[in-house]
Amino acid sequence: MRLLLAEDDPLLGDGLQAGLRQLGFQVDWVRDGLAAERELRNQAYAVAVLDLGLPLKDGLAVLAAVRRDGVSVPVLVLTARDAVPDRIQGLDVGADDYVVKPVDLQELAARLRALVRRAHGQPQECLQAQDVLLDPAARTVRQAGTLVTLSTREFDLLQALMLNAGRVLSREQIEQHLYSWGHEVDSNAVEVHIHHLRRKLGSGLIQTVRGVGYLLLRDAPTSP
Amino acid sequence: MISPPRSIQGRLLAWVLGMVVVVWLSTAVITWFDARHELEELLDSHLAQAAALLVVQQQGEIEDDRHDLDAPTLHRYAPKVAFQVFHEGRLALRSANAPAVPMAAPGQSFRAGFDTVQIDGLSWRIFAAEGGEQDVRVYVGEQMSSRMEILWAVLRSTLWPMVVALPLLALAVWWAVRLGVSPMRRLGQVLAQREPQALHPVAVAGATVEMLPMIEALNALFARIDQLLASERRFTADAAHELRTPIAAIRAQAQVALAEADDLARRHALLNTVQGCDRATRLVDQLLTLSRLEAADATALQVVDLRALTQSVLAELAPKALGKHQTLEFEAPEPCFLPGNETLLAVLLRNLVDNAVRYSPPSARVTVALHQAAGRVVLSVEDSGPGLAEADRQRLGERFFRVPGSLESGSGLGWSIVQRIAQVHRLDVQVEPSTQLGGLAVRVTGADCRIRP
Repeated sequence: MRLLLAEDDPLLGDGLQAGLRQLGFQVDWVRDGLAAERELRNQAYAVAVLDLGLPLKDGLAVLAAVRRDGVSVPVLVLTARDAVPDRIQGLDVGADDYVVKPVDLQELAARLRALVRRAHGQPQECLQAQDVLLDPAARTVRQAGTLVTLSTREFDLLQALMLNAGRVLSREQIEQHLYSWGHEVDSNAVEVHIHHLRRKLGSGLIQTVRGVGYLLLRDAPTSP
Repeated sequence: MISPPRSIQGRLLAWVLGMVVVVWLSTAVITWFDARHELEELLDSHLAQAAALLVVQQQGEIEDDRHDLDAPTLHRYAPKVAFQVFHEGRLALRSANAPAVPMAAPGQSFRAGFDTVQIDGLSWRIFAAEGGEQDVRVYVGEQMSSRMEILWAVLRSTLWPMVVALPLLALAVWWAVRLGVSPMRRLGQVLAQREPQALHPVAVAGATVEMLPMIEALNALFARIDQLLASERRFTADAAHELRTPIAAIRAQAQVALAEADDLARRHALLNTVQGCDRATRLVDQLLTLSRLEAADATALQVVDLRALTQSVLAELAPKALGKHQTLEFEAPEPCFLPGNETLLAVLLRNLVDNAVRYSPPSARVTVALHQAAGRVVLSVEDSGPGLAEADRQRLGERFFRVPGSLESGSGLGWSIVQRIAQVHRLDVQVEPSTQLGGLAVRVTGADCRIRP
């Protein structure tokens, strides 16, 4: 899952980046408000962690601006401002969650997963499509109860498809979901990962819509 | 033993009434003496006149030879007045109540004029007069008690109104005093009704001039306590707020280290954890310094040798500057003395020089100069660093303001500390672009104290 981290404090930013990476997020880290706003507008992030006291542009201003422009990425505000009015203001401006520092990394990750899940209308923590069950917290995939071993990229790709079950995702969209900055993406990387997933989970799960992208159906198509 | 507190109203009442009684009594005493004096003069003159009349009359009527002619009692006061007329030693005429012997002190030769004698146990005022040929002697007397009665009547008329008026006066004074001290009573009520933690100024309607210093002192105290509490609260809030980020960083780094399998990455996270602790420590130190400064109002001032102090601060910071290959210079042609607190001034100097070293790039120049000009001590710290934009210079000293984009870690409290110390010492701090080095120039100006220890 690709995540934007906006935090100006070098030590905290470094720690959050490393910790969230350990927990399976693809983290892009920006250190000021203008960069955060630019990235939120231009990139498809699954979720964003936003500090409020950012240089150049305050976190709340960034949030208000991108929300006005219709950016619907779930945003978790992580801040030292703990007063109730601050929380209310943060949530009113468009934050989906408001967490006061310091925060446990596991809890932060769980909250972020919950945000992503809710943003896709998923009530449960685990994603299910047909006979495949994906647990984002444990990062495990089971098919008909049997554990299937997937690589990080394969897992992320499957999660993206399952979160968007019933919708076609283009190759570019998938690439944005999978890769944080600084990764050279092979032109056929997505095809390779799809191929691997089909091999491990069966070819019926992921459909190709030629010239458009890929699609995962929540329920198995009923044979005529 | 502590005596119970006395009421101002009671004291005023007692004093005013006491004064009134004393004044009234002394008026009565003065009236007594004055009236007695006037009365005696008047009555004595009547006696003298009556005697003269009798002498003249007797000289014309000697031939009548009516010795025992008693004058009739014509007036109720008549028994208290008596006269005798002697012609050649013989009683020629006397009033009914006059004795046959001359009304003079027994065994005394005739003496014209006034005398007070005892006759039959009564005190008489006597005027004796003689005719021109010394054959007629006239005594006119008056009972002293009659005079006393008149005097007592005068005194009674003076004292009576007082006796009647005193209770009324007491009531009036009590009421007036009560009215007069009512603002004080109101102040007492206002104070009693205040919430214990209320610190807003006391306002008493109709406070008197005498109460104003008290109320002002009280309000100044409230304001000071309020300020202290506010600074305490701000400190707590600031500390809580500003420590959150370093603590969050420490926690995140520690959790990363716990979960990290890779040795190099774990070591990196652990080093960051330690760094985070150092930063939190420095932040706490600075917050505490600032908090103590907020409470410090009048610090004990002593004569501080600014040149020696600057030298020791520079010696302390030199290794850091050298570590960045920076040039650190100090120029002070003569010793400068400033009234102040040495510890605080050292903190100020350390902050200024540390800022210059910290925010200037490697190989930069930092110069510190100490001069005297027109009775002022001028300390300037200049650097060849990047300087500050006008807008950022304006915001220096705001708590936790950090220049955007600065890579150096800092608490954003240094300038608050510098400004607070300067304020305590009445020093003027100016920040401007350095004309010599191109970076930032900070000029601290204060009154030189010429006392040389």
